[in-house]
Amino acid sequence: MRILWFVLSPLMALAVGLFFLGLSRRFMARIQWRVGPPLYQPLIDILRQFTQKSVSHGPLFDLGVVLSLASSFIVVLFMPLGGTAPLSSSGGLLAVLYLMLLGPLGIALSGGEAANPNVSIGISRKLILAVGYEVPFLMIVLALMTYYGTISIGEIVAAQRESASAIASFPLVFSGIAYLLILPAMLGVRPFEVVGAAQEISSGPAAEYGGPYLALATIQHGLTMFIGISLFVNLLWGGASNPVVFFLKMLVVFAFGFWVNAAFPRLRVEQAVRYLWRWPTLIAFVGLILVATIGR
Amino acid sequence: MDRNQLMKWIKAPTKMAHKYSLNAVYFCTGCGVIEVPPTITSRWDAERFGVVPTATARQANLFLITGYVSVKTLRAIIRTYEQMPEPKYTVGFGSCTINGGMYWDSYNTINQLDKYIPIDGYIAGCMPRPEAIFVAVTHLWTLIDKDMADGYKRYRKNYAAYRANQEMILGEMEWPPIFQTEVATAITEREG
Amino acid sequence: MSLGLLLIVAFGGSLLTYLLGKVSARTRDAFAVLISLALVVMVASLYGKAFRVPFYGGFLGMPLVLRIDGLSWLFAIAASVLGCLSVVFSLGYMKGKERTSFYYSMLLLVIAAMLGVVLSGDLLSLFIFWEIMSWSTFLLISYNGGPALAAGMKYFVMSFVGSLAMLAGVLTLHGSFGTLEFTGVAAGMSSASPGYVLAILVLFGVAFGTKNAIWPFHAWLPPAHSEAPSPFSAVLSGILIKMGVYGFLLLMFVIVGLRTFLSLGVGRIEFHTVLSIIGAITILLPTFIAIFQNDAKRLLAWSTVAQAGYIILGISFGTSLSVAGGMFHFLNHAVFKALLFMVVGAVEYRTNGVRDLDSLGGLIKRMPVTFIVAVIGVCGLIGVPLTNGFVSKWLIYKTLILERSPFLAFAALFGTWGTILYSYKFLHNIFLGQLPQRYEDMERAPFTMLLPMTILSVVVVLFGVLPGIPLAVIDTIGVSFGFESLHVTPWGIASDTGALNTVNMLVAALVGLVVVWCVFRSGARSVSVGQADSYAAGAAVPRDKYQYSVRFYAPLRRMMAPYLKDFVDSFYMRLAGWVRGLGDGLRRIYTGYVGDYVMYILVFLAVLIFVQIAWSPW
Repeated sequence: MRILWFVLSPLMALAVGLFFLGLSRRFMARIQWRVGPPLYQPLIDILRQFTQKSVSHGPLFDLGVVLSLASSFIVVLFMPLGGTAPLSSSGGLLAVLYLMLLGPLGIALSGGEAANPNVSIGISRKLILAVGYEVPFLMIVLALMTYYGTISIGEIVAAQRESASAIASFPLVFSGIAYLLILPAMLGVRPFEVVGAAQEISSGPAAEYGGPYLALATIQHGLTMFIGISLFVNLLWGGASNPVVFFLKMLVVFAFGFWVNAAFPRLRVEQAVRYLWRWPTLIAFVGLILVATIGR
Repeated sequence: MDRNQLMKWIKAPTKMAHKYSLNAVYFCTGCGVIEVPPTITSRWDAERFGVVPTATARQANLFLITGYVSVKTLRAIIRTYEQMPEPKYTVGFGSCTINGGMYWDSYNTINQLDKYIPIDGYIAGCMPRPEAIFVAVTHLWTLIDKDMADGYKRYRKNYAAYRANQEMILGEMEWPPIFQTEVATAITEREG
Repeated sequence: MSLGLLLIVAFGGSLLTYLLGKVSARTRDAFAVLISLALVVMVASLYGKAFRVPFYGGFLGMPLVLRIDGLSWLFAIAASVLGCLSVVFSLGYMKGKERTSFYYSMLLLVIAAMLGVVLSGDLLSLFIFWEIMSWSTFLLISYNGGPALAAGMKYFVMSFVGSLAMLAGVLTLHGSFGTLEFTGVAAGMSSASPGYVLAILVLFGVAFGTKNAIWPFHAWLPPAHSEAPSPFSAVLSGILIKMGVYGFLLLMFVIVGLRTFLSLGVGRIEFHTVLSIIGAITILLPTFIAIFQNDAKRLLAWSTVAQAGYIILGISFGTSLSVAGGMFHFLNHAVFKALLFMVVGAVEYRTNGVRDLDSLGGLIKRMPVTFIVAVIGVCGLIGVPLTNGFVSKWLIYKTLILERSPFLAFAALFGTWGTILYSYKFLHNIFLGQLPQRYEDMERAPFTMLLPMTILSVVVVLFGVLPGIPLAVIDTIGVSFGFESLHVTPWGIASDTGALNTVNMLVAALVGLVVVWCVFRSGARSVSVGQADSYAAGAAVPRDKYQYSVRFYAPLRRMMAPYLKDFVDSFYMRLAGWVRGLGDGLRRIYTGYVGDYVMYILVFLAVLIFVQIAWSPW
C-alpha cells in the first residue's frame, strides 16, 4: 500500500495542481465576465512549451529548475493525501518546512545563472515575501506542533480525527484564521503577486525561461499551490480519510484563495510584508501564546 | 470537440498544442496596439482560444506587430523575434507592416517588414478591428495545420539575406549573427 | 601516544617553522604542512582513549595535568583537521605576501594552543593555553595592519576582559577547593552552595561567551573575522571561537554537572533558560544584520555569530537531543563556515582582494568548482536536507518543540529563513549574474585552494547523508555527561515521535531528480547561449550594467534598518570613548613636561604656606 502511494501521490499532486492552474484561469475569467479558456488549457500550454526550442544559460540553469520541481514532488511524498504519507517517518513537518524552500531556491539558483536583473529582482522580492509570510506561518506550525506534541503530519491528522479539526477547536482557531490570511501570499496570487509581476519585471524569476524550462516552472507553480492548500487541509482541517474528500476540501480552500486573487490589486513588496507582519502575525502570535500557556 | 478534431489531436499532438496555445509577446510597436486590450479582455476574450499575452519573448510563440515600425523599433523587433523560441509565428497587423501604409514616405519608418523578419500572415486595414485578429488567428491555425506557417524556417535558411537587410537599415548591430552564416558573402552575392 | 609529545610537536613545530623560514620558503611550507598533518594523525590515533598524565610537578604545589576523553578528542580532531586544511589553503593564498614565516608560525601556534586548551586537565593549564591562544590570535588578526590592527585591538580588549573574569574564577576555585584539577573541582562543586556555583558559572561564562561571541559579547567578531587573512578566518570562525563552546560544555556538564546545572537559578528564573534565551537572541539579531552586509567576509562573520547562537541554544537547553544537536552543530559549523571563508579567500585571491559584494558577479563562469563547493557550504549553512546542517538543526528544533518551548523554536526556525536571505545574496552577488568585463580572463582557483575546499564539501554531504558517523561519537560524550542515549543509527535517529531517516530522503531525492531530469530531457533540446543573449526588452545587453546586486534587499532594508542597529557595539564604542575622554582629561594635567610638574609642586607648597600663615584651623 505504501509503495503504491509513492507513485500515486506525486501523480495526484500533478493532476490536481494542473487542474487548479486551469481552474484558476477559468475562475478568474468567469469573475471578469469572460468565457475563459478550457480547463485543460494548462496541459496544452505545457505540451506547447515542451516542444519549443529554448535557450540554456548553462548547466546550473538546467539543474536548478529540475531540482525545484523534484523537491516539490518530494514534499508531496511527506503529505498524507487522504491516506498514509509515503515518507512519514523521515523528519516530519520540520523536513517539510525545509524542503518547501528548495523549490524557490532551485528557481533562484537557475535564474541567477540566466544573468538577468529582472530575474534577480524577482528572486529578491520572493525571498523578502517569504520572510514576510514565514513569520506567521512558523508561528502557526509551531502552535500546531506544540499543541499536538508531535512533529509528524500524520499524527497531527490522526489527532484531529479523534477530536475536532484544529480550526474548530479553541486555541487553534487563531492559527487557522492566520493561515487563511497568509494563504494568498503562500500561493503567490494577488495581492501578493509581486514576485512574478509580468508588467514590471517581465514575470520575474521566469523571465529567461522558455520551452521546457517554462513547462517545468509551470508545473512547479501548480505543485506549490497544491502543497500550500494541502498543508492547510492536513494541518488545520483534519485531513481526510480518502483522496476524494481530501480533494473536495482542497477545492473549497482553493476557491477562497482565488476569490481573494480576483478581488484585490497587487501590493508592493514592502506593503505586503507590512501586512503580513501585522494582522496575520498578531493573530498567529495570540494563538501561539494561548497554546503555550493553556496547552491541550 | 468533434471527432475530426480528436483525430487531429491523436495524430499530431504537438502541432495542435502549438495551434491552441498561441502566447503573444507583449510588444507595442505602433498605434495598432490600441486594438489589443479589448481583444484580450472581457469584450472579446481572446483567452478562449488560448491566445494570451506573455511578458518576455522567451515564453511566447506569437509575435503580433501592431502598426508602423520606426527604425528604432525595428532593432527591438528583430532582437525580440530572435529571442523567441522556435517554432514561432509572426503576424503583421495593419497596412503599415505591409507597405508602409500612410507612412509610406516617412523618413524614419520602414515600409516592408517582410524584408527584415519573416512574416507568416498579415491583417490588412487601418485599423483592423479586433474581430480581424480572430480571423487572423483562425487563418494561422490553418497555416500551422498545413505546415505553411514556416517563417522561422525561412529565417534560418535565408538568415544571411535578412541580416544583410537589417544591417543595411540599422548600420552596425550590437549583437553578433545568431546563426553561423557569412553575412559578408551574402551581401557580395546579392550585389554581384 | 603521549599527550606531552603531541603538544611538544605542536609548539616545537611552530617555532621550527619560523626558524626554517629564515632558510628556505619551500622547506618551511612543506614543513608546516607536514607538522599539521602529523598533528591530525596523532590526534586521530587517540580515538576512544581516556587517560590523564601530569606533565609538570609543582606549580604552587599543584601538578599541571593533561587529559583526554571523548569531549576533548572531538574538539582536538576538529581543530587539527581544520588547522591542517587551513595551512594547505594558505600555501596558495599567502604566496607573495610578506612576513609569511611569521604567519605560518603563528597559525601553527594557534593550533597548538587550541590543542593545549582542549587537552588540559586542570584549570590552570587551561588558562595558560587560553592566554597563548588569545595572544597569537591577536597577532594573526592584525596581520594585515591598518583596519586590521583596530579590529585586533578590539578583539584583544574584549578577550582580555574575558581572561580577567576567568582568572578571577580560577583563583576563587583555588581558594575554596585547593585544587584546580577538573575531577577535584567537580567533586567540590557538587557540595557547593547554588549561589557560589552561579557566580562561578557567570565568571567563566563571560570568558567563554566572549570567545564564542554570544550576544552581548559579540562586538569583536565581525571586524576581526573580516580583517583577518582568509585562511585564518576559516580557523577563527570554524574552530577557535568554538573553544568557548568547549569551555561551556566543560563547565556545565563536567565541572558543575548536569543535575546541578539544570536546577540552578534565582527564584523561578532558571540559569539555563536564561542562557537559552541569550542563545535565541544571538540567533535572531545577527542574522538580520548579516542580510544587509556588503562585505562578503563581514556577512559570513555575522552569520558566525548567529550560528554560535544555535550551538549555545542547543547545549544550554539541556536535553539529550538538544545537547547532541548543539555539539553536532558545532562540528558542522566548523566544516561549512571554514569552507565558505575559504571560498571568499579563493575569490579574493583571484580578484586581487575584492570581497565587496556589490562589485563582483558572474564568477560561476570562471570558477565553477569554487561555486559548487560554495553551494554545498551554503546548503549546509541553511540546513538543506541531506547536508549536515539539517540534522543538527533538526535535533535542536525537535527537542524545543517537544519540550514545549515554541518561542525558542520560533527564534531558531526564523533565524534559518534569515539565513536563506543572506546565503542567497552571498551566492548571487559573487557567483551569479553578469560577469564583469574585468574578470573575463580570470583563472580558476589553484589546486592547493581547491583541495581543502573539496574535502570540506565532501564532509558536509557525508555528515548529512550518514549523520550516524559523528553522532555516534557525540552520543558517547552525551552519555558521559549523564544524558540518555539517542539510539543512533548510521542514517539518523530512531526515536518514538517523528524519527529521522536520511536514507529515505536520499533515495526519494535521487529518484525525483532522475525522473524529472528524464522528463526534462525528453523535451525539445535547447541551444546554449552566453550571458550577452539575455532578455533586455528588445535591446542588446549593456555590458557591465545589467546586474542587480547593489542593495539586493532594498525594500526589506527600508523597513528594518532602523531596528537593526548593533546597540551593543555602539555601547562598547561609547564606553571606549569615555575611557579615552578620561585619559585625555588626565593628560591635560599630566602633560609630561617637567616645568608643569614643578609648577604644580610650587603651587601646592604655596597653598600650604598660605594656609599655614593666613588661616590656621588646626
